[in-house]
Amino acid sequence: MTGRAPRALWPFVFVVYLLLLAPLVVVAVVSFGSTATFDFPPQGLSLRWYRAFVASESFVRAFRVSQAVGLLTALVATVVGALSAIGLVRLQWRGARVVETFFLSPVLVPHILLGAAVYLYLARLAWPTSSLTLLVGHIVIATPYVIRSVTAGLVGMDPRLEEAAMSLGASRPQAFVKVTLPLLRSSLVTGAVFAFIVSFSDINLALFLAGGNAPSLPVHIFSQIQFEADPSIAAASALQIVIVGGLILLVQRLFRLRLTV
Amino acid sequence: MERGRAVPYWALFVGPYGVYLLLFLVLPFANVALLSVYLHSPTKIAVAEFTAGNYAKLWEVYYASLFLRTLRLALVVTGVCVVLGYPLAYILARSTSRVLTVGLFLLIVPLMVSTVIRVFGWVVILGSEGLVNQALRRLGAPDGVRLLHTEGAVIVGLAQQSMPFMVLPIMAAIERIPPSLEEAARNLGASWSQMFARVIVPLSTPGLVSGALLVFSVSMSAFVTPALMGGRRERMVGQQIFEEVLTAYNWPGAASLTIVLAGLMLALVALALWATGRRARLETARR
Repeated sequence: MTGRAPRALWPFVFVVYLLLLAPLVVVAVVSFGSTATFDFPPQGLSLRWYRAFVASESFVRAFRVSQAVGLLTALVATVVGALSAIGLVRLQWRGARVVETFFLSPVLVPHILLGAAVYLYLARLAWPTSSLTLLVGHIVIATPYVIRSVTAGLVGMDPRLEEAAMSLGASRPQAFVKVTLPLLRSSLVTGAVFAFIVSFSDINLALFLAGGNAPSLPVHIFSQIQFEADPSIAAASALQIVIVGGLILLVQRLFRLRLTV
Repeated sequence: MERGRAVPYWALFVGPYGVYLLLFLVLPFANVALLSVYLHSPTKIAVAEFTAGNYAKLWEVYYASLFLRTLRLALVVTGVCVVLGYPLAYILARSTSRVLTVGLFLLIVPLMVSTVIRVFGWVVILGSEGLVNQALRRLGAPDGVRLLHTEGAVIVGLAQQSMPFMVLPIMAAIERIPPSLEEAARNLGASWSQMFARVIVPLSTPGLVSGALLVFSVSMSAFVTPALMGGRRERMVGQQIFEEVLTAYNWPGAASLTIVLAGLMLALVALALWATGRRARLETARR
């Protein structure tokens, strides 16, 4: 076949995946080490750093903060994002495209600038930073992921299904809840999962908005890297990689989803 | 009959996030714009007296070189991602769905894992007691080589972070090119690289442009990577903003930096869109 890519391209593929995966693999391997330094390959395998992570009050608290903020972000973003997507797809008005661009814009605004801007804004309102302000910020950046995934679901849906339900006597809300919503399930779950991951992984907003008393896991890891090199950082990081990777694998397998960003 | 009611009915759906973005995206940036023309005061942080001083200050050597360094690093990272990412994008676009599934998974997971964790991985690899130095020492190199806290480390870190943003749009663009075009070019005697340069690259330019814009914007506004992997003296604009907000309490200064950085990136996006639009118009005119 003439369309076949030449072998010369494969080194590029190798280099890119090496570059992408090396830091993650190294973190995962080092987290099972048994010495107090980062050895690769580790001199012995142990769960020492996982035990240290679980025993560390500050790490566990940071993990809880990230988990709670992530779940709440996913919940709010899914409701708000699904509503927006339905409004955008079903609205047949001239401004819909502009509003859609506006709604997706938080993904394109550099998060460090958004974090600084929201921080300065909250300071003007005399609203002290806490996990609540972190949640407020994460909803801004996570909702577009739900909008995109639900919009794709709605666009791919046959509108006649809802019309059929209505001609059989269902009211518009009934038809929506009983026909459209179940068909949107995979888009909703995918959106919710990505909203959770966006919140769970975010550092740039969290550095400004999490507040000093309750850092999220990435912020805590950030300050730990700066001040000491404790391998429980590796355990916490490996945990993050497993959670994020596992969730992505789940939606990819469950819905035969074609991943994109 | 339905029309009059239908519009406000659906508008209720768009309302919540619309209002939310107004409150927590538009107003914060409006506030930054306002702060950027306020007077900085060491005791009261910001005084509501209008001045252009915060912008004038950015012409000083320190800030000018900060912006130039950031710009240069972002351009280098974008270049690295284009060169390394294009072949991968092509291979993924032309692969079977099974290979694509695995390929995308391995592309998306590193992207979605927290930046700070990816940077931590690089610290373990490149640090003075890191893997590379351990290996070098085992090979007999007496002193550790300084790899971390260099500009090279920042470039590697940023390239790792933004590579998927380059690969995904190019891949999507190449997928839209019918393979029959490639075969036609080959059958007419083009070598594979000629075909790639004359068929694939021109037709996937829109993907290249959006990928390059994403990578450039991520790199321009980087904070965590230069903070943990860069040298003390080679800082980027994101670090300066962070510091002026949270440690120096020079909020008007941080605000002017934010506005200039956001403005630079907006201008670039507009320029790229204008250039590609113009190109598309020229192409249609030529036909």
